[in-house]
Formats: sequence, C-alpha cells, structure tokens
Amino acid sequence: MTAACEPAAIEIENLNAGYRGQAVVTDLTLTVKGGELLGLVGPNGAGKTTLLRCIAGLHVPVRGTVRLFGRSLTEMTAQERARCVAVVPQSVETPMAFTVEEIVMMGRTASLSRWQRPGRKDRAVAERAMVYADVVDMKDRPVNELSGGEKQRVIVAMALAQEPRIILMDEATSHLDIHHRLEIMQLVERLNIDQGVTVVMVSHDLNLAAEFCRRVLLMKDGLLLGDGAPQEVFAEPLLRQAYPCNIQVHPTVSGTVTIMPAPRLNERTAASGVRVHVVCGGGCGGEILRRLSLGGYTVTCGVLNEGDTDARIAAALAIDVALEKPFLPVGQAALERARAMVAEASIMVVAPVPFGTGNVANLQLAEEALAQGKRVLIMEGIDDRDYTPGLEAAAKARALRERGAVFCRHTAELFEQL
Amino acid sequence: MKRTILFWLAALLAAALALGLCLLAGASGWGLPARGILRLRLDRVLAGFVVGASLAAAGTVFQALLRNPLADPYVLGVSSGAGLGAAVAFLTGVASVSVAALPLIAFAFAAATLFLVYRLAMVGGRTSIYGLILSGVIVSSVCSSLLMFTIWVSPASALHGVLGWMLGNLEVYSRSLLLAVCAIATVGLAGIWAMAPELNALTLGEDVAHYVGIRTRVAVPMGLALATLTTAAGVSLAGLIGFVGLVVPHVVRAITGPDHRRLVPASALAGGVFLAVCDALARTVLAPREVPVGVVTALIGGPFFLTILRRRRRGGWLE
Repeated sequence: MTAACEPAAIEIENLNAGYRGQAVVTDLTLTVKGGELLGLVGPNGAGKTTLLRCIAGLHVPVRGTVRLFGRSLTEMTAQERARCVAVVPQSVETPMAFTVEEIVMMGRTASLSRWQRPGRKDRAVAERAMVYADVVDMKDRPVNELSGGEKQRVIVAMALAQEPRIILMDEATSHLDIHHRLEIMQLVERLNIDQGVTVVMVSHDLNLAAEFCRRVLLMKDGLLLGDGAPQEVFAEPLLRQAYPCNIQVHPTVSGTVTIMPAPRLNERTAASGVRVHVVCGGGCGGEILRRLSLGGYTVTCGVLNEGDTDARIAAALAIDVALEKPFLPVGQAALERARAMVAEASIMVVAPVPFGTGNVANLQLAEEALAQGKRVLIMEGIDDRDYTPGLEAAAKARALRERGAVFCRHTAELFEQL
Repeated sequence: MKRTILFWLAALLAAALALGLCLLAGASGWGLPARGILRLRLDRVLAGFVVGASLAAAGTVFQALLRNPLADPYVLGVSSGAGLGAAVAFLTGVASVSVAALPLIAFAFAAATLFLVYRLAMVGGRTSIYGLILSGVIVSSVCSSLLMFTIWVSPASALHGVLGWMLGNLEVYSRSLLLAVCAIATVGLAGIWAMAPELNALTLGEDVAHYVGIRTRVAVPMGLALATLTTAAGVSLAGLIGFVGLVVPHVVRAITGPDHRRLVPASALAGGVFLAVCDALARTVLAPREVPVGVVTALIGGPFFLTILRRRRRGGWLE
C-alpha cells in the first residue's frame, strides 16, 4: 500500500529545454521510480546531458516541470535539492590543493549551516563515503596530485557524502580504465540495491548500460526513441534509428546483450569494384555519397545542377558527376552522360531528393536501369516530395515499385540492402 | 583543535609584534615618538593594515571565483576603475564635500567597471571565466588610459599629489576618511569570510558548486561585489598598490591550505601586516625621503612571488 503511495523519484512532464532558442529536449515526459537504475543513451547531441542538467536544477527548462519525490524542483531550496540529488560529472578540475578529505567534506555543504563545523555525524558520513569509493588511503593527499581515475573516485565520494536519494552520472566513468570503470559501476550498483538510491547514468558505453541498467532510455534529437529493458531497447532496428552505422547485437550468457559495431573490413572488400550511381540534390545525398565512397564503392552521380550542395560534396569526394548548368532543367546532353554512368553501374540509388519538372528526368534513368536488370534502391516518400504539376514523380515511383525497385525507409536500411 | 588555536594565537602575536615595530619605525630612526607624531603614525599603521587586509582578501576572492592564479583586484579592472573614480573625485573637488564621498565614488566607478566587464564577457546569458579575464584586461587598460588623461589635464599644483597617490600612499590626510574606510572594509571582510563555504565549492567550478547546494547565481555576483567593495575602500584611501592582492593569498595558501574558512582571515591578517611593514620600510630606507609604498610592495612582492611559485609547495598552483 505504502509503496503505491510513495511518489516517484523523478517525474518529468512536458519538458522543453534548450540553449539560445534552440530546442535540445522536446516535450519529454518520463517517470523514474525510486530505486531504479536507469541508463540514458543516445548519439552526441541527443539531449541526454541537458536532460540530466534539468533534473539537477542546473539548467532551467523553457517549459515543463521536474519533480523529485513529489516536490517540484522550483520550490526546493538549493540545499534541499543538494540533499536529494547528487551529480557525478565527467571530470572535475580544481587549481587549488584541497585534500581528498576536504573535497569529500564539501559534499556536506548543504547539510551544514554557514558557520557550522562538520560534526561527528558529518565526519562519519564522509568517512563511509571515502571507504565506499576506495579513497580513504589518500585522504590527506592534495587532489591535484592524483591521477584522473583517483580524482574521479574522490568526486564519487563527494557525491556520496551528500547522502543523496538520487545520483546522476554524466559520463562519469568514460575517462576511467576498465578496472576502475567496473569498480565504480559495482559501487553504484551496490548503493542502488542496498540503500535503494535511484541512479540515472548517461553513457556512451552501450555495453556498460546493458550490463548494469535494468531500464534504458534511448534518446535522439531531444526525443525518446526507446524505453525499456536493455534487451528491448538495444534491438538492431531501434539502434539503427539512433546511430546510422552498422551495429550488431548479440545475446550474452548473463541474459543481457552485447552491442558491437559491424566489422568494416568485410564491407570494404565486398564493396570494391562495385559501381553505384546516385540520384540526389540539394544536400540530401551527402551522407549516402560519403558512406558509399568510404565503403569502397565506385560512385557516380547525377544529373545535378552546377553549384548544388550535393555537387560540391561529390567534387570533394572525387565522385564523377553528370552536370547541368545552374538553375536549368536537365537537358539531353547531361542526361546522356548520366545514362552512360548508369549503364556502367550495377546498382542505382535514389536519395530523398524533392522532384520538380527540372530533375524528374532522373527517374527515367531509374526505369531504364530496372529494364537493364540492375538493382534500384529508392528512399521512401517520393509522394511527399513531388512538386511536378501532374504528380509525375509519384506516378513514376509507383511504376518503379511495381517493376521491382526496392524502397527503403532510412539510410541504415538502404545500406543493408546494398 | 588545540593546534588550530595555537596557530592562530601565534599568528596574532606575530602580527601584533610586527605592527608594534612598524609604530616604532620613523624617518628619524627607531623609538617611541612624541605624542602628536605617535598619533599620526598610529593612523598610518592602521591605514596600512586596513588597506593591505582589504586588498589581500579581495585577491583571495578573485582567485577563487575566477579559478585563476593570476587573478587579483587588477585583473577585472576593479582597481583601475576605483582609481579612476577616486581621481575624478579628487580633481573635481567632490571628495572634499564629505568623507564618504571619495570611497563611495571609487566604489561606484569600480562597480560600474565590474558590471561593464561582466556584460562584455556575457555570451548568450552565460559568462565564461576566460571571457571575464579577457574583457577585464581590456576594460582595465581603458580605465588606466582615462586615469592618465585625468592626470594630464589636472592642474600642475595637484600633479605631485595625484602621482604620489597613483603609486600608492598611506599618508592619512583625513582621519574621518580613515574611519569610514575602516568601517567599509570591516563589513566587506566579514561578508567575504561568511562566504567561505561558497568560495570553497566554487573553486571546483560553478556546476559542481551548484550540485553540492550553492546558489551560484547569487554567490558569484555577491562575491564579486564584496571584493569590489573592499578594493574600492582600499584604493580610495591609499591609491593604487599592486602585488598585495596577488601575492599574499598565494603565500598564505601555502601555509594554511586552500580552505577559505582559514584562508580568508589569514590572508587579511597577513596582507595587513605585509602592507604596514612595507610602509614602515618606505618611510625609513631612504629617510628623510619617502619611497612610494607601491614601489616597495612590488620590489618585495615580485621576487617573493616567484620563489613561492617555484617551490611547488602544497597550495601552489604550478604543477
């Protein structure tokens, strides 16, 4: 009964946050129950750190509320907040030669009044924190003489000295060696199990999150992409939406999963000598062009107008392009050059480019390629990008689909098909 | 606990002894002077102590808040701003209206300088430490130029006085000004000492200070304002005296460690004694001629500072 009435450790409602008018977290709603050990993963710039800073009260959200154990963050004093939630950042630097013990004692700041000296209880708490974090042997050494790993453990001890009910870790172990990373994670796990401390950890190490967290949030572009057990969230299709690279997920003996990047050597050798012709424009083909040439394919491209973003990218990648003059519709001469390229290629790719009367002729090349028995891969959604007066491109796309062109929803799928 | 008490007793005793010796040092040799002169000398030793304590405490605050070993009242332009204000008050005659006018105008100018530096360093609602230092150096040199210009246009009769004041001068012209400055400095120093927990946490950076429960949005401006207040009080009494705010906190930190609960009072005490002693030297070494005290602090402070930095003791910055 009481457990049901107990308010959630962290309640986030419609959180919107950003910097200088640029949204980083969008309409995020999330509940973390007391005693959870939650992993927060996602690509760079997904908004993980901003979310964490909002929970810590460091970043003021544009809209939405954050409640800790039922109390809104805005109605808590700085001291109340610090007694409830502690943060372990990636690294902490101080130019001053505080001893380890002095630093750990700073974790008691919120529990002491201005002129109050640390009492017996504070010393006991700090001592226990130092024992937990294994820094008790160095308690009289100045922190700026310690190694990065030792320093990080001191910061963990400082956070523990706050006696928090919630610990937020922002890439806290990413600078540590494998031994200390494991040690700090085991320490956090023990606090979580023994004392019911709620933990939210941001990490780029998916395997670490898979191993220690019972619940994982996958974020991308400020939105929640996945929320659940590691086995559910770390599934290849979901991960591919977040990270546009080849990822393989394997089950482990302990019942969780291991995530590995797909071996790139095979991809390189497999791709060598394969010619791909790409239809793109306006910058939408940049990623495809780049990854194709990195993957070892021989790439051709066109028809594009001179000065187009994709034309510049192609030039930078030394890709052969069939060019038309700026702002002119695709003419016969350019189309002939592209046709010759397609004839040489074994695969044709149509990037998510908008079609108008100027460039719809490129789809004709796709029809011809299919007729010649080549594979044609097209990014889904031509209907929404069709600006031709008679919806010519959409009609062509339907015809292509009927005749066996493969349609892909995102680039990861496209590269799978290759 | 016992050791702490003993340490402070010894420090206070040494300070009292040094100040007593300063009292005995005069242009005409050692010894207790006549009553009238003793009174003047008392004022002067008091002035040296108050100004030195103010500058050292302000330096301590700037070094903690900016997390920079080279921070002192000069680096954010606070000293130059206060100096400009004092010179303006001096030369326009406003200073003679009331005793509080000089320190208040100096504070107003220093605060305006600090505000300007803060605004210039602000990008998108946030101020970076590097931005603060950069804009501080620039605003400071602008203030110095304006100060030079003020002196350039000042009447020849006032020139010597202003120049002496610029090099630092602890001669007390007005007893009530001295008392006013004492009062302001006491308030400022007490405020700085009270902020010791904030200053400690802020040396770990604003983010970490926030995490352990410090209201950084209040604490940082408050610390800067208090340091500005004490600097302005010191400058309005004694002019521009360098090196005290920079060197004293470093030296003291090597002895007491970086905890501001000890560092702030110890720095203030040491800064006060240091400046009083420097002033005693300034009065006596070339007697009957007086050396500007700023010259003495620079000549002693500079080499001392370098030795400290090179010794890499606990509390030193160079690793």
